[in-house]
Amino acid sequence: MEPIRRQIVDLLPRLRRFARVLARDSADADDLVQTTLERALSRAGQWAPGTRLDSWTFRIMKNAWIDETRARSRRAKVFAPDEDGETVGFDGGAAMQARLEAAEVERAMARLPEDQRLAVALVLVEGLSYKDAAEVLEIPPGTLTSRLVRGRAALISQLEKVH
Amino acid sequence: MDRDLRIAAYVDGELSGADRAAFEAELAADAALAAEVQLQTRLRARLSAAYDPILDEPVPPRLMATTAAAANDAGPRRFGLGQWAAMAACLAIGVLAGRIALPQGSGSQQGLPEPRAGLARALDRGLAADAGPIRISLTFRDQAGDYCRTFTDASERVAGLACRRQDRWETRTLTAWAPAAGSEYRTAGAETPPEVLAAVQAMIAGEPLDAAGEAKARDGRWRR
Repeated sequence: MEPIRRQIVDLLPRLRRFARVLARDSADADDLVQTTLERALSRAGQWAPGTRLDSWTFRIMKNAWIDETRARSRRAKVFAPDEDGETVGFDGGAAMQARLEAAEVERAMARLPEDQRLAVALVLVEGLSYKDAAEVLEIPPGTLTSRLVRGRAALISQLEKVH
Repeated sequence: MDRDLRIAAYVDGELSGADRAAFEAELAADAALAAEVQLQTRLRARLSAAYDPILDEPVPPRLMATTAAAANDAGPRRFGLGQWAAMAACLAIGVLAGRIALPQGSGSQQGLPEPRAGLARALDRGLAADAGPIRISLTFRDQAGDYCRTFTDASERVAGLACRRQDRWETRTLTAWAPAAGSEYRTAGAETPPEVLAAVQAMIAGEPLDAAGEAKARDGRWRR
């Protein structure tokens, strides 16, 4: 197996995490990971060794997601926002509390405009620097930081209001 | 730079050197600013708590298979022996990578992530007197007789409490935390957040260990 393939395998958990921010449904998210893998591997020659493979792959995923959402809206396939019913089994105690908390965070993220959600996901969840995140999103750094500031403010106003 | 942007840049680790020092000086003098930093730190911690468990999930086999199979898309779609072997190797590496990247597996009984490698090392070997991004404050025995330790982790911006259970550390309490400005020489425990101290109060049997007791417990590898 060539080195890039091995490194992409190592990235799989993070690719799945980023995909879950984009496509909330976990099966949709794994479909997105699959598309991303296929594209990344078919273009492996375009990746410049010495640059960040995670950023490169996230950018492919971001573009795959944009293609997917455009195709969906062309098909006029509207997804109901899944506000109702936390799909949380009864498992009691702190574990359930943690899942309810996670569901609340995911709902707040889902309400963000997509450009803000991507900025928040790359910096706050994936831990990318502002520079790397701006490169993934193919936007100027100033645009990234303004999306980030607005996204954070919206999340905090949603998440802190009931506490 | 406007105020919100500076707060974000500070919390995201984007300020360096003089900018960071200047911000921390302001932070020490401005309670409102400190409260905003706290909110932003808490947001980061909540996002991590929500999304990081995905890293611990097993990667679906179809994704592993994609990384093994996609190379020869131009060729016939039937797998030769070599490709199956590559796929098997890929699966093995994936499993291994999962273990290496996330050495502690799927979390403690309370649904909290188990300590990551750096923290586990500090819990294993650190003493309250040690400096570094991860500080250990209190070491004590719980009612079951197991050793527990409180910690603050400046790089992950969390504080918490972990207890030794069967040769590994289990996180029992975890909360967002940021070092207060200019606080490098505070006494142990002074920076421990109230939630963590409350957990200590609820669990402790007797008194916290002193420095000698702590060193002895460490050298005994935290066996009861």
